[in-house]
Amino acid sequence: MADKAALGRHRVSAIIVSHDGQAWLPETVAALTSQTRPLDYIVAVDTASKDSTQQLLKSARIPIIDADRNTGFGEAVSMGVKSLTPVLAETIEWIWLIHDDCAPSPTALEFLLQAVESRPQVAMVGPKLLGWHDRTRLLEAGVSIASNGARWTGLEELEYDQGQHDGIHDVLSVSTAGALIRREIFEEIGGFDKNLALFRDDVDFGWRARVAGHTVIAATSAVVFHAQAAASERRIVDVEGAFLHRPLLLDRRNAAYVLLANSSWWMIPWLVFQLLSSAMARSVGYLLIKLPGYASDELLAVASLIVKPTLIVKARKDRKAKRFVSSRIVSAYIPPRWSQLRLSTSHVFEAIRSRLLPESGLTSTSILDSLEDEDLLVPTKGVGWSNLFKKPEVAGFIILSVTTLIASRMRLGTLIGGALPMSPVGAHDLWKSYFESWHQVGMGTSQAAPPWIAILALCASIFFGKAAFFLTILFLLAPILMMWSSLRLFKKITENTWISVSASFIYAISPVAIAAVNSGRLATVVALIIAPQIPILLIHWKEIESHSWRRIFLISLLLAVLNSFALSVMVILLGLILFALFGDYRSFVVNKSRPLFLERLKKRLTLLLVPLLLTAPYSFEALLAPSKFLREPGLSVAGGKAHLVILGNPGGIGSLPWWLISPLPLILCVALFTSGKAKVIALFGTGFLSAAVFFSSFSLATHGDSAPSRIWVGIFLVGATGAACMAGVVILDRLRAVLITSHFHFRHILAALLLFFALVYSTLTLGWSVTAGANSPLQNSVTTVMPAFLSVEKDTKTLVLREIKSEGSNSIQYYISRGKDIALGEPDVAPPQVSAIAAATQALIDGSGISSSKVFADFGIKYVFVKTPFDRNIVRTIDGLGGFTRASATSVGVVWRVEGVTGRLVLIGKDGDRELLEAGEIGARVIVTHPGKILLTESYDRSWLVLQNGYRLERTLSELGLPMFIATQSGEISLLHDGTIRRAWLSYQIIAWIVVVIAAAPAGRRKREISEKELA
Amino acid sequence: MKRSIVALLALALSFTLATLLTVTTKSSDFSETYPEVVCPPTLNGLSSQISVASLKTNYQGLATKSTKTIPFNVLRYPVNKDSLVVSALGTTPVVWQSRRGSWAGGALCTGPISSQWFVGGSSDVRTRGQLIVINSGLSAAIIDLNTYSENGEQPVVSINLVAKSFKVISLDSLATGDRSLTVQVVPRSGRINAFMIDELGAGLKALGGDFVNPVNSSAKTLVIPAIPNQIPKGGQKPSAHILRIVAPSNVDANFSLELISKNGIFVPVGFDSRSIKAGVVTEFVLSPKIIANSFAVRITSDEPIVAAISSKLITNGRRDFVWSTPTSALTPMKMAVTGLSPLIDFVGDSIDVKIEVALVNGKKSIVTIRGIDVATWQVPITARSITIIEASRETHAGALIASINGFGYIPITPGSQLTKVEIPHSNIRVLNP
Repeated sequence: MADKAALGRHRVSAIIVSHDGQAWLPETVAALTSQTRPLDYIVAVDTASKDSTQQLLKSARIPIIDADRNTGFGEAVSMGVKSLTPVLAETIEWIWLIHDDCAPSPTALEFLLQAVESRPQVAMVGPKLLGWHDRTRLLEAGVSIASNGARWTGLEELEYDQGQHDGIHDVLSVSTAGALIRREIFEEIGGFDKNLALFRDDVDFGWRARVAGHTVIAATSAVVFHAQAAASERRIVDVEGAFLHRPLLLDRRNAAYVLLANSSWWMIPWLVFQLLSSAMARSVGYLLIKLPGYASDELLAVASLIVKPTLIVKARKDRKAKRFVSSRIVSAYIPPRWSQLRLSTSHVFEAIRSRLLPESGLTSTSILDSLEDEDLLVPTKGVGWSNLFKKPEVAGFIILSVTTLIASRMRLGTLIGGALPMSPVGAHDLWKSYFESWHQVGMGTSQAAPPWIAILALCASIFFGKAAFFLTILFLLAPILMMWSSLRLFKKITENTWISVSASFIYAISPVAIAAVNSGRLATVVALIIAPQIPILLIHWKEIESHSWRRIFLISLLLAVLNSFALSVMVILLGLILFALFGDYRSFVVNKSRPLFLERLKKRLTLLLVPLLLTAPYSFEALLAPSKFLREPGLSVAGGKAHLVILGNPGGIGSLPWWLISPLPLILCVALFTSGKAKVIALFGTGFLSAAVFFSSFSLATHGDSAPSRIWVGIFLVGATGAACMAGVVILDRLRAVLITSHFHFRHILAALLLFFALVYSTLTLGWSVTAGANSPLQNSVTTVMPAFLSVEKDTKTLVLREIKSEGSNSIQYYISRGKDIALGEPDVAPPQVSAIAAATQALIDGSGISSSKVFADFGIKYVFVKTPFDRNIVRTIDGLGGFTRASATSVGVVWRVEGVTGRLVLIGKDGDRELLEAGEIGARVIVTHPGKILLTESYDRSWLVLQNGYRLERTLSELGLPMFIATQSGEISLLHDGTIRRAWLSYQIIAWIVVVIAAAPAGRRKREISEKELA
Repeated sequence: MKRSIVALLALALSFTLATLLTVTTKSSDFSETYPEVVCPPTLNGLSSQISVASLKTNYQGLATKSTKTIPFNVLRYPVNKDSLVVSALGTTPVVWQSRRGSWAGGALCTGPISSQWFVGGSSDVRTRGQLIVINSGLSAAIIDLNTYSENGEQPVVSINLVAKSFKVISLDSLATGDRSLTVQVVPRSGRINAFMIDELGAGLKALGGDFVNPVNSSAKTLVIPAIPNQIPKGGQKPSAHILRIVAPSNVDANFSLELISKNGIFVPVGFDSRSIKAGVVTEFVLSPKIIANSFAVRITSDEPIVAAISSKLITNGRRDFVWSTPTSALTPMKMAVTGLSPLIDFVGDSIDVKIEVALVNGKKSIVTIRGIDVATWQVPITARSITIIEASRETHAGALIASINGFGYIPITPGSQLTKVEIPHSNIRVLNP
């Protein structure tokens, strides 16, 4: 205990500021009257409370000063100070600020005075603030402000008070709740800033006290319990300047004000940037949790200050007059950025952890409880590591991981082959490919890049920007991810882990899974991973109305991701929804419930339309070219025939041989003749299988291949495979109980047969995968088709002729290269072949093409490259034709230069003379020396523009269908591809995805919506 | 149960539809064309006529800048100077050249070649022979000439030809002083054809001449189906024949020659398993005592060889010679013979050849030639084309033509082969390793 006499030198006047505080005030008043160091004077300033606050104060015989309802906290305190008697000589006068929602512990004042007794330089001392409801929760022990305006306490969220922060600390400031301020200093530095009606006035005051040469400390032996009624929105904030009574807006505005008014002038630009960027980041966060009000508060707070710069200028002027030391003195109390980062990261991880691993709610029990009946003297039996491997999950994942690793031994590097083209080096290239309005593929195209490129780019960005690395990891981990994903689903169906793990194992090594990985089918791989999550979310397909809209949007989002990779998802969805709507209509006819029917209709249509809209304009383009609905990303590689597909095997290169028949079709057939859930699932599965078989007869020419090839029905088989596995799980789960309790009959034989087939299939498939399957088309490779010397000239078109193995035989095929091999995403936007070039190429091969070189020159093709190995007759034929001059003949192939003036941009004079103009990759700025026609050897597109002297040149269509511009005078011209439409679509996509993500995200709650119970 | 059956039926229906609807996609299509054939130019002092099968057959002069073609409008076209590129569409035009009062010879207009062997010609003091190399392509060409003589293989001579041009090379420049030549023409690039004229003279005295028809490659079995054999009149020496043979590989060859004529098949004395040195042109005199006007030989060797037979003849009291060269087995083909009326000799174990003869008056008739070992058929003078419709296996044929200026020989073999080229299609996979 401090010396009572010494404490007697101090005179303490408590000032209670009340505003609708009836909920907390009784305890506050009681706490003040029960202080071990009695108060010398007490006064209350009430800001026109509408509840019984005044009555409560009066009944406690506390003098009341009435203030307007919109009076700020600082102003109210000033009114209270003015009401005090003048400072007496030989006494140290203190004002103790008490909020109406805080209750000091009985010894609070005594400990506060003790802390300042031996520290005469202290201007302000604050207590340790603990929660009102949870009185073990530490709220504050000193406070500061981060450079982004955040209130900084240096504490963890919901930190439990165990005395870990106890002691007397030098701090920037303390909360005004329970703060003891030396009256003469309070008056000397002008009290609280009137512009800070509520929030952050404490930090501002502490900062000003510091630069005036005083000290602020936190004495944690003094404890005050604080309800934080205004901050937690327990009461309406009515103070002047609190726009629309929004406490968050006021808090953020005041934070910015404090920083800008008190910081050194040279810090201001950096602070403005930080405030703006952090406000925007927080706004996005609030939007994601569907709190648009808070999001707008963040932005309005900063904006409200920016529109009133004079306020800051005046505040800085006032502070400068009373500053005795540099503002930099407070830098020691401003938290370093890494601390802020660490805390933010910690919050994020905690949020994720709590989402993924929610508290079980079970209370922990003492170890002694479990040992109650045990003899403690008997040595306990140790649990061996070997037991771990006896767990089906562990064993299943280990077997799959090991076999996957062995089977993927040729895929440990940059992947290429099958349907997967070479991946660009970095995520940047993928983003560029997605954003650009013009793709330099073949003769060029303005087709919309498919949305899966953006998704891949996003994932690659997470993987250190290495797109190829991400793809390698994806294909390496694909079987494991498939097993994990399906296991989550099957665990919802059965509690028997042996069944669920076995089913997920078979799912991961199903024919479609093996073929998808081996042949680089990106969409099917993604579908195999994501698809099992959909039935988990969409449990009630028939009674869809029972799902919340948030759930519907979440499923739509997943479907949109799938649809981004393969538009065939839309075909499946359309089929399923039409069937479901038919069922809904039949129910409607029976029960006549129109609202129910409409609710189902709306939700089903949402599932159909949201993925369609989110993948626009790619999906819209598919409406005009429906073949896109049946294509997957990447190169056009033929799938299998119907007789293979009906066995669940999609066929094509890299697929399982025909004799490796999976048990899945058998399971579907068996399940069809069961009853209950298995039958329903089997009906879905049979539907998927029927669709797969039907579509396997289609041959389409797309993705840069002018010859039709049989479509790959992997996506349909994902549904059939998933359904078969699910049906199998349901059957075995139910059958197990029956088999145990019944005598031997046909069910035993059926179960044994299913298990036998599954076992044989698994063994043979794993064996095939690690042997012959390892030589599948998808492998790591660093070879290229185009020799380096052909890519030296930027954006030079080269006609490449090469023998390609297709449908079992080699045939000569061609394509126009822009000096490099194709990259991921380019086949998806590849334009169809130009008939004139096709005819010229055919004539080139059969030797009749005396005008082939002219056609090539007209289309800007500068070189012809025959890739090794080649038929010597082709080389001889080209040699014999006119217009081609051999440029090189190396081990990689033979190159001819097409004679004549040709290039990307050609100026054709009135006399027909051609002059090559320098052109960049897409746009160009070049001088034309004379009037004439400017021929651009790219596909015609209305977005091609040529500007001269600020005017657009007239665009026409050349005889060959190329864009041509008429320059009537010489001078500089600018060629550009107007990407306005693409940018508009991108903006639309960003907005649409954000809206749906927000709609699908779990909603946050306003602080006022958190119940008192939860706060406790 | 009902739904299950419906589902199974749907699956069965899909399978049936898919199986029925599946259109087998052809992975490749082919374009079948006959390349344009090239006829030799008419050199100074020579006269030349090209026999074509149709008035509408198109041609263009080699030196013409334009790529347009014009029809012949006649069935036998006199060529002034230029080499002609003929769109014969599968018919082989025949060119007949002669030096008035000296010699005459025939050659086939042929498509571009990858290699041609000319077994004939000389580089000695008597020679006036020439090798004509034609580049009918629109690009410059490089050609290698590999020359063999009795002194072995000569240094390779490379020549450059600009687009649409020809070059005449004197044979004496290839192996100066050597008597027996064999020249292989190998284009390195370009659309190349070559023709060889072997002409001999001693001072002002003409010793005859002929086209040396080429063979495309060396082979272990050669059949020369038509070798003219003038039956000596009383007191005259029998007609002399010289077999010129070379084994172009690096290994010496052993060959046997079998003579086939109306008088039977036999191996002349000294022609059973004769050895020749690799790369050295060797000549053997062949003087068969037979009474047939023509005969054929079959040469078999243990190494690939090329060979031809030169036959000395007397025409109107003047000396002339004919180079008979090997032919490939007969296949369906069409040859223009307007105004030539050749005598065709067929050789084969069992000859059965069906020929359609088109006359200048537009009429057509079918002729079937049957025989054992040899058969001879004189093409009517009014014929403009003959078409081999069917031919028995391993039957060879050659034609002998007589004119007032001399004798000539043409192999019955297509001048241009039907070119079956796969139509390429656009596929972006071309750019994917």
